[in-house]
Amino acid sequence: MEKAIEIAGLWKKFRLYRDKAVTLKERLLFFKSRHRWEDFWALQDISLVIEKGLTVGLIGRNGSGKSTLLKLMSRILYPNRGTVTVNGRISSLLELGAGIHPDFTGRENIYLNASIFQMGRREVEQKMQDIIDFAELADFIDSPVRNYSTGMFMRLGFAVATSVDPEILLVDEVLAVGDTAFQKKCLDRMTEFKKRGKTIIIVSHSLEQVEKMCDTAVWLNQGRIQSMGEAGKVIGEYRKSLG
Amino acid sequence: MQRLLEIYQHREMLINLVAKELRARYKGSFFGFMWTFFNPLFMLIIYTVVFSYFMRIQVENYSMFLFVALLPWNFFQTSMTMGVSSIVTNSNLVKKIYFPREVLPLSVVLSNLVNYVLSLAVLLPALLFFKIELSFNILWFPLVLFFQFLFVYGIVLIVSALNVYFRDLEHITGIVMMAWFFLTPVLYPLKMVPAKVSGLIYLNPMTPFVELYRNIFFYGKQPGLIDLKIVLLVGFLFFFVGEIVFARLQRDFAEEI
Ligand SMILES: Nc1ncnc2c1ncn2[C@@H]1O[C@H](COP(=O)(O)OP(=O)(O)O)[C@@H](O)[C@H]1O
Ligand SMILES: [Mg+2]
Repeated sequence: MEKAIEIAGLWKKFRLYRDKAVTLKERLLFFKSRHRWEDFWALQDISLVIEKGLTVGLIGRNGSGKSTLLKLMSRILYPNRGTVTVNGRISSLLELGAGIHPDFTGRENIYLNASIFQMGRREVEQKMQDIIDFAELADFIDSPVRNYSTGMFMRLGFAVATSVDPEILLVDEVLAVGDTAFQKKCLDRMTEFKKRGKTIIIVSHSLEQVEKMCDTAVWLNQGRIQSMGEAGKVIGEYRKSLG
Repeated sequence: MQRLLEIYQHREMLINLVAKELRARYKGSFFGFMWTFFNPLFMLIIYTVVFSYFMRIQVENYSMFLFVALLPWNFFQTSMTMGVSSIVTNSNLVKKIYFPREVLPLSVVLSNLVNYVLSLAVLLPALLFFKIELSFNILWFPLVLFFQFLFVYGIVLIVSALNVYFRDLEHITGIVMMAWFFLTPVLYPLKMVPAKVSGLIYLNPMTPFVELYRNIFFYGKQPGLIDLKIVLLVGFLFFFVGEIVFARLQRDFAEEI
């Protein structure tokens, strides 16, 4: 089996500042005293291999480090120890609407946002109609995004990010928002991705969703891997721990 | 090297950001375009009045002597003052999406570079109007500009990355740039500087650039070989040091921003 993502001995800490000196002036004048923090290890000793073509669910309580792990995979964050190796183009949906500019029209935003995901102009032009249709924005595509409803905003974000045709797709809880019809559409698109042999990593609070979509699951607990393996088994254990 | 390749892969994003920047500045009209020259032209007039009429500096055709150096200075200064905050103002992107972070400062420098090149459309007619003969030495322009671009980009990389950690760098940059301006032979010819300190003025990397631009546009002379060697060195040095410093500091951007 080919590996899509390999993580080895990964540790990640954040600084929880008690007092943060953000200017040169403060740093020079107060030297150490105004710049104090405590280390917080958000992820500890994480090692896992995700094989190509698998759909993997990340589960665990709030604050267990799921979003942090996705950010490390997409290189928004870097580990303090250990390595992350990724094979293939990643597209991430860590937050819907990231990089969408309220003053631009929907169409302009599609160009800008798609280019962040390395899509060329011609590729975007080809997919434009598709994106507009999926986002159900035909009537509003040339008005500024500022005037969009939350739902329209989210549809736009999801439509662009999934039109990129990545080899690896990271999705963080974005399916929790939006109405049922939209959720179904997103799920359908992810199922289609899966059929085309793409690797998907989903963070979701809906255990039913994970059960239905995922081949394997990883359960994070306070920054450590509690259990991983076949999705049904891991979810069973997780359910039991919730009581 | 890896990083340069990635920047190249994100060229579409770069083009979009530069276009957005220029569109906002020009507002799509000729007057919008002229408006961006209001600032350098205004400075040109004020300095010419003060130095040429009040202080009677002994330089022939002072206004053009000044203009030729003011435009590349402006490219540097505007890139610095706009570029220093380029990472911080885009914190939303940096925290949520991966892309090589260099794209943000680079787009600022490139849009100012385009601006500078377009300003030749004002400079060249002005030179002709003041009866300054243009020579083939103008053909050196792209090369000098390329080295200046490397220098400006390198230094903007460094200040934009440091600004994430020290937010008052924006203000400090403004003050430093003002001092830097007076320490660069833009307003005065280099030979006016006392011999004792003229060596020191050459520690300023902007000095050889200004001298080169003056040679090729104003004096119609061949660029000085020593100046060319210096800017080649300065350009690549700042470029590589900038990339290395930036590559190290950018790892913590998403946390510190
Ligand atoms: N930038 C940050 N600075 C400090 N602490 C952070 C930062 N990002 C996340 N954390 C902390 O790391 C832990 C894990 O967060 P997160 O990965 O968002 O959890 P999850 O997505 O599983 O709910 C939390 O305790 C959170 O407070
Ligand atoms: Mg989360």
